[in-house]
Amino acid sequence: MLKKTYDWIDERLGVTPIWRDLADHEVPAHVNPANKMSAFIYCFGGLTFLIIMTQIISGMFLAMYYVPDIINAYKSVKYITDEVLLGSIVRGMHFWGASLVIIMMILHMLRVFFTGAYKAPRELNWVVGVLIFGVVMGFGFTGYLLPWDQKAYWATAVGAKIAASVPWIGPYIQTLLVGGPDLGAVTLTRFFAIHVFFLPAALLVLLGLHFFMIRKQSIAGPM
Amino acid sequence: MADHSGKERIPGVPRYRRPKDMPTSGTEPFFPNFLLKEWIVGSVILVAFILWIIFNPVELTAVADPADTSFIPVPDWYFLFLYQLLKYIPGEIIWLGTVVIPGIAFTLLLLAPWLDRRKARHPMKRPIATWGMVIAMVFMGWLTYEARMQHEEALAKNPPKPAAPQVKDTAIVDPNDPGAKIFAQNCAACHGAELKGQVGPSLLGVGNKYTAEQIQGIIKSGKPPIMPANVVQGDDAVKVAQWLAKQKQK
Repeated sequence: MLKKTYDWIDERLGVTPIWRDLADHEVPAHVNPANKMSAFIYCFGGLTFLIIMTQIISGMFLAMYYVPDIINAYKSVKYITDEVLLGSIVRGMHFWGASLVIIMMILHMLRVFFTGAYKAPRELNWVVGVLIFGVVMGFGFTGYLLPWDQKAYWATAVGAKIAASVPWIGPYIQTLLVGGPDLGAVTLTRFFAIHVFFLPAALLVLLGLHFFMIRKQSIAGPM
Repeated sequence: MADHSGKERIPGVPRYRRPKDMPTSGTEPFFPNFLLKEWIVGSVILVAFILWIIFNPVELTAVADPADTSFIPVPDWYFLFLYQLLKYIPGEIIWLGTVVIPGIAFTLLLLAPWLDRRKARHPMKRPIATWGMVIAMVFMGWLTYEARMQHEEALAKNPPKPAAPQVKDTAIVDPNDPGAKIFAQNCAACHGAELKGQVGPSLLGVGNKYTAEQIQGIIKSGKPPIMPANVVQGDDAVKVAQWLAKQKQK
């Protein structure tokens, strides 16, 4: 029955070749921790992706309660933390996950750097990886404001001031991010939009490219 | 793929179904063999992550108040090094710290594959790249550490206002009630001997929020994610609930 269903879909969509490309390739011995314990350093990339998935999922659940306006943002975060079933766990996951993604990403980057895996022909994948780094830092910056508590507000006020001090284009960045001379209602909606629409779109495209290139070029051989 | 005298791996056939005498080079299929091992590592990390979350609840400070400029701002830890860098740069050339230095660092990182073009990949065989990165990481770590220390000093000099000042000056109502004794034996480990909260939240003023019946219900069924059900049972639960319901704030 299952086989028949699969064949029926396969006949129409040709999923077998896609499946083969995605899943059916040999993983070299030197990245396998089962062969050599020190190969666990090759897990950092996969773990970064795993934590990013928990960020996406916990973020989607937070969005079920979170309200991005200055009257209700704080109240909704308080409600999530104190009242919602497992709300403090989901919020904790999203909060601590932000740090964990960055830690894992730095470890992954250092692994790639010190094993020289960015060398030809994998330069482009390194570039995409550095861009992902930038996007993830952007997530951290825009996410920090959303609970609209004192810590969030004043940390972002400092960040916005720093962005505004950029010569020539500083005022334009200020307008784009903050929406006016002072941090306020517009800032919160902008940061929310950037955090949940712009950056995830960018991240998914870049991750897609990152993984596509890994499959195309395969993992760098042993040193 | 090398020819193993007609025993070449059939695509999609996992390792455990391969013939025993088939030679291997230590490689294995991504799916399901390798992915399974990755998932084992992943689930260990996830369990550790969840435990960390449970024991480190996220705080929520007071609601944002643009008028209160006494709050000492601090960015999240991963921006501390940039923040600290600016402290060493005088005001009129602040752009050096906000744009030029981070810009150069980011560009160097982005262009690493073109700056380090020789074939050698072992870190010891390309000292400039290796030491460059080590020094950059040490410098960033030092900046982060300094920022952290200076922030803690500033906090010690100018302690932040408590988020909920009413908790501080509220006294426990009726401390000689029999319920207080049951509370001290069963509940104080989590909610604090002074009701000020520890693992569990503060219960000072809980009477404003709940009636005795509601508190009894919470004791009976617990409160996710941490508070277990039926810590206190029967008559004792009624007494504790009635005493807690008296904890009202004006």
